Amino acid sequence: MDQPIIRIQNLRKSFGTLTVIDGLDFDVMKGEKLALIGPSGSGKTTILRILMTLEDISGGRIEVCGEPLYHMTKNGAEVPADEAHLHKMRRHIGMVFQHFNLFPHKSVLQNIAMAPILTKGEKRPDAERRARELLDMVGLADKADYMPSQLSGGQKQRVAIARALALQPQIMLFDEVTSALDPELVEEVLEVMKRLANETDMTMLLVTHEMGFAHDFADRVLFFDKGRIVEQGPPDQIFTAPQEDRTKSFLRKIIAAGQRV
Amino acid sequence: MGDWSGYLTLILQGAWVTIKLTLMGSALALVVAFVAGLGRISRRAALRWLSTAYIEFFRGTSIFVQLFWIYFVLPMTGLWAPTPMQAGVLALGLNVGAYGAEVVRGAILAVPRDQYEACIAVNLTRFQRMRHVILPQALPLMLPTFGNNAIELLKATSVVSLISLADMTFQAQVVRSQTGNTLLPFVTILVLYFAMSSVLSLAIRSYERRVTRGLDGVR
Repeated sequence: MDQPIIRIQNLRKSFGTLTVIDGLDFDVMKGEKLALIGPSGSGKTTILRILMTLEDISGGRIEVCGEPLYHMTKNGAEVPADEAHLHKMRRHIGMVFQHFNLFPHKSVLQNIAMAPILTKGEKRPDAERRARELLDMVGLADKADYMPSQLSGGQKQRVAIARALALQPQIMLFDEVTSALDPELVEEVLEVMKRLANETDMTMLLVTHEMGFAHDFADRVLFFDKGRIVEQGPPDQIFTAPQEDRTKSFLRKIIAAGQRV
Repeated sequence: MGDWSGYLTLILQGAWVTIKLTLMGSALALVVAFVAGLGRISRRAALRWLSTAYIEFFRGTSIFVQLFWIYFVLPMTGLWAPTPMQAGVLALGLNVGAYGAEVVRGAILAVPRDQYEACIAVNLTRFQRMRHVILPQALPLMLPTFGNNAIELLKATSVVSLISLADMTFQAQVVRSQTGNTLLPFVTILVLYFAMSSVLSLAIRSYERRVTRGLDGVR
């Protein structure tokens, strides 16, 4: 059996007195597509943010690609990671945000090509050629010289996906990437992600409220509530034959709201 | 009044001193503003403390007194005796730089948190974040206030006449005492000050247009 690419052990995270993640354990295998679902405030987005090192942890341990994320070894002892260690570890991970977070002062092409040039020392022509290939892949080949403010939400999100892919991370985190989109723009983004899931062996973690998409996309679904995993399993099992009452009542509400699961 | 062209030359010589003071003072103020502004939001407590102390001190005391300290008191320490021009540039630059530092700090903090997070997600170093993402977005926010500061600095240059540096105001006083005519020299320098500040605000506004290109619809 392979080593898991992400290993989370007894993870705890609190904001002040509010505990959002409380002793969480789970592993993710290389290439696995994981959907994290659950009610708002269940801690699923926080997990992605912690993996992207946007939040500190309050306790526990995370390993990414066999190395501790928030710890490092110094003089034989394990100490909290410094910025240099985090910088090294972030190479493995990319993230797409709910609100796109494109750089508004840079063109679409620069948004994608900037990081490979700055962080991997790629030559500008090479980085831009790859950026154009990625734009082609997300169906925006003709938008390379646009500014982000000239794009629709769905187009922005596809650029953001291309930007994250340009660094060729082994792990991609998608944080409610369609939640800020107008309903008619959701499909074009999901389409791109579906292709990614089918065509690459990238490990993907997806936080979403689109249950139908989670069903099609994921190898495994994790249902979260109050910072813990209530239930997990293959999508067919979670969506059609959930075992736990919490999962059942959550899914009932989702279906009552008119969603396909 | 036949010598008026000679007196005008005198005032124009003063105008040149005023222009030099404004340009050098603004250059120093700009550098100091960025150093102290970035210092105030540094992760190092000592830098934050030092920057805050500098800003509060130079905003909290009069530029007139600062100039006197630099020109008259500093030489008493035996370290350095600045020329009037050096003292003038230093006092103006440090005084206006303290205001500018707050502008730099405010503009940097006004860039949304989203942008920092995007920088981390694409793995930029702290320096690269500042250089390529945060400052280019903060600069357009700073410029209008920098424009005000530069004009304030131009007008404050007249304090150097008090340490007998022959700037425009000083020369107008000279002309007045030699000719007994008050109206002409002071109308002349009024017009000249206004012309200089107009050039300053036009220059800054056109630069502002250049750096905000593409950011329309964002703010």
